[in-house]
Amino acid sequence: MNLLRRVGFSLVLMAIVFTGCLPSPPEGSGGPSVTLFGFSILKEALEKDIIPSFKAKWKREHGADVEFPTSFAGSETVTNQILQGAPADLAILSIERDADRLVEGKAITHDFRQSPNKGIINKTPFVILVRKDNPKGITDFPDLAKPGVKLIHPDPVSSGGAQWSILSIYGSELKKSEAENGTPDAGRALRTLQAIWKNVISTPGSAREARTQFETGSGDALITYELEGLLMKQAGAAVDVIIPKSTIFSEHPAVLIDRNVTANERPVVEAFLKYLWSDEAQQAFVKYHFRSVTNESFNDANKEFAKIEQPFTVDMFGGWSKAYPEIIEKVFRDQVQGVR
Amino acid sequence: MENEKNTSEVAVSVRNVRKSFGAAVVLEDINFDVSEGEILVFLGASGSGKTTILRIVAGLEIPDSGSVELHGKDVTSLPARERGTGVIFQSYALFPKMNVEHNIGYGLKIRRRKKAEVKTTVDDLIELVGLGEHRKKYPSQLSGGQQQRVAIARALAYKPEVLLFDEPFGALDAQIRTHLRREIRNLLKKIKVPSIFITHDQEEALELGDRIAILNQGRLEQIGTPYEIYNKPETEHVAKFLGSANILSGRAAGDEITIGNISLAPKEPHGLRDGQAIKLVFRPEDVFLRRPENLTQNYQKLAEGTIEEVSFAGAFERVAVRLDVSDATIMVVRPKTETAAFPLHAGQHVTAGLVRFRVLKDTSA
Amino acid sequence: MSTNLSNIRHVRGFDLVKPLSITAMVVVMLPLVLLPMASIFIFGTSSGLGSFWAALTAPEAIFALKLSIVTSFWATVFNVIFGLFAAYVLSKYNFWGRNALIVIISLPTAIPTAVAGFALLLLWGPYGILGRYLEPQGIHIMFTASAIILANIFVTFPLAFGVIKPVFETMSNSLEEASATMGATRWQTFWHVTLPSLRGAIVSGALLTFARAVGEFGSTILVSGNLAQRTQTAPLYIFAKFNEGQVEAANAIAIVLVVFSFLIFSILFLARDWLEAE
Repeated sequence: MNLLRRVGFSLVLMAIVFTGCLPSPPEGSGGPSVTLFGFSILKEALEKDIIPSFKAKWKREHGADVEFPTSFAGSETVTNQILQGAPADLAILSIERDADRLVEGKAITHDFRQSPNKGIINKTPFVILVRKDNPKGITDFPDLAKPGVKLIHPDPVSSGGAQWSILSIYGSELKKSEAENGTPDAGRALRTLQAIWKNVISTPGSAREARTQFETGSGDALITYELEGLLMKQAGAAVDVIIPKSTIFSEHPAVLIDRNVTANERPVVEAFLKYLWSDEAQQAFVKYHFRSVTNESFNDANKEFAKIEQPFTVDMFGGWSKAYPEIIEKVFRDQVQGVR
Repeated sequence: MENEKNTSEVAVSVRNVRKSFGAAVVLEDINFDVSEGEILVFLGASGSGKTTILRIVAGLEIPDSGSVELHGKDVTSLPARERGTGVIFQSYALFPKMNVEHNIGYGLKIRRRKKAEVKTTVDDLIELVGLGEHRKKYPSQLSGGQQQRVAIARALAYKPEVLLFDEPFGALDAQIRTHLRREIRNLLKKIKVPSIFITHDQEEALELGDRIAILNQGRLEQIGTPYEIYNKPETEHVAKFLGSANILSGRAAGDEITIGNISLAPKEPHGLRDGQAIKLVFRPEDVFLRRPENLTQNYQKLAEGTIEEVSFAGAFERVAVRLDVSDATIMVVRPKTETAAFPLHAGQHVTAGLVRFRVLKDTSA
Repeated sequence: MSTNLSNIRHVRGFDLVKPLSITAMVVVMLPLVLLPMASIFIFGTSSGLGSFWAALTAPEAIFALKLSIVTSFWATVFNVIFGLFAAYVLSKYNFWGRNALIVIISLPTAIPTAVAGFALLLLWGPYGILGRYLEPQGIHIMFTASAIILANIFVTFPLAFGVIKPVFETMSNSLEEASATMGATRWQTFWHVTLPSLRGAIVSGALLTFARAVGEFGSTILVSGNLAQRTQTAPLYIFAKFNEGQVEAANAIAIVLVVFSFLIFSILFLARDWLEAE
């Protein structure tokens, strides 16, 4: 090889060696760190608002900089990652069942329901998303059974969001019939569910996919988290949010992962967890379209939030451990889905 | 089989080599020497084992038994790279990504010689083989003959103990072949490096070799100078393989031999038992045809016969004669002097006389 | 109409088949490949160049791109060297189990990437079969950049090997024998004779491996922990942005990856031609 090629070769080699070094994470102060795993939609609220204010607060009170390595994905993915050993100190999930799985997998060794608000840090009700100006005139769940209405609904077998939606339809009918007649009418709830299900034109595998299908023009209505609906509106989508008379609240637990938290990190992790129920944090959540769980009056700050007359939670069914076999399996799978 | 040579003159010495591949015995009882500056040619049909001999000397194959010595040193257990042989492969095996200069200098480069030394050697060799104009070219840009010269120069660069040529002319055109043959022989004689060639081409063997070794199915039938091999074949195979031969069966009778009712007296004693079966071997050009009354004393009378066919072959005439005795047909070649003096035609009755012949023990009887 | 066509066919040199087949090819490619790629570009810049640039220069985005490049680089280095070594051994020596090994080397491409990632977790994770003994020693393999490199190595394992091995098979034995008879050791023969003939295949194999590793997702999301600015590669970043609803930002990085891959493959073709030509 002649000189020129040799020089060129060495330059390329040097460039490669230098780029061959891993990029380093930011800061690296060596102070305490809280590794946070959360479900995707929470990212903005945490990173833009809550984490920075907590860091500032901690710095004032203790003089140290706290690092917050974060990882966001679907709640189920986050749970699976932690079960396999991902180094999370704190996890914020979108469904209690995932927290229970972490308990089962021994990632959590305390009873998280003993925390304030049973571990729930914020919530969002299930609403009906329709096209702008509501051309099909949907006002509540039963309207979805009207002839000519096309509904996108994810498959409850694979989608947590779909399971919430089934519970919201079924439960809202139970609640309304109880308010009207004194006793909850299971028959009416089942019939409503069956009638609505006849209008489902597509059952994608996840809530995200359902949302994408709706966004790209399929269907007249989508049952989804109020949070998602408001985000879509904020992004300029031509949709309206219809608040049903009675609906279920999706509650989001935050849990400390005992398995991963070291003794000297515990104070700062517990402090951050507690901070999530502080007024500042709760008000921040409201700004990002999550409903506060500590103080209903905070929710008034968000003009998009409408009052829900007859709200309920999964406790109405006795928790997910009962709701899943009794409603999702016995009612929906056996009597609605099969009988289409 | 071998004459005794002064040990200091022996470059290559192979003794009692035997080689099998699986169940097939490819070489058996191979013994030969190559003297300093000598060209030895192995001649045989494909499958006769000649390539294997070359590879064993080079160290690319290990014999089952036997030994190989190069300039007195026993190299039998040494790997190829420690033997210092120069191999010219049938395909030349030039390194495609190196130009002529680098190919030639390769042997010295891997021996870590100084750049200056490498350059001088390469320059000298390029001049020796006459490739000055092509020194920067790559093998794909060279003709077959040029590639061969590079292969030779490359092998010479590190002063090999012996040069081994594997059917080097096979891939070339017929005209180039003859021309190159002579060039290579001249070159080899000039540089005095001992060489072993293998080939199946008799003409090549005759022209190239100081000595020729005939291989037949893994056995060395005969080694000798071209003259010896041609005129004094020691086996039927050798006789038939080099040039054409007429072979008649007969018996030894005292000092003479008999074929049917004909007797012939060999010039040298044949040393065979009385009554032993023999083969009489003679070349077409050693037969002279005369009308019975014109036979002179220079040749021994073989037999009478009838001409079956006369064909004109340019420089000579080919005549097929059916002998009265044993009803065998022999081939005779007659030069212009003969055909002019004694013209013959088919159907004529003639007497065949032999100038020379060989008597071989009949090993098939 | 048909008369015109047959008249045209009789005009010397006019071959209807050539323009037809080229058009057919492009038409088929349009909805399958060309339009999806175009829509990435369109969507990624739909909010204007300002937000496109902001999306590109976000610190998380830059980190993700760098991490992708570095981890893919090391996975490529390993797989090319090993692929070279394995191709050499497998084409030179015959031994019991040789064919089985060749099949095993080629297996990783048949395994879904998520399964690969999961398998790695089961083996090396803190509660994994082997990982549980390393964890107390303070050796963390999973949820670090090393995990990403390991996953990349697994998933791209056969690529370089598959490109290099055929070249070995077509290489003539006599070159190596010639080198040996001229006095070269096995290593010298490998370095001076074998390797130069493999240059083109090595470059092809390396770039193929690298491009595939950069785009790897299914296994990375499992083994990396997806920690932003620590173990989040470019594809993971794109997926995260998509999940957050920031589709334009996701597309912006996707554009970078597409352009990057385009450059790589262009270099690949140019380099290979240049290397083969000599």
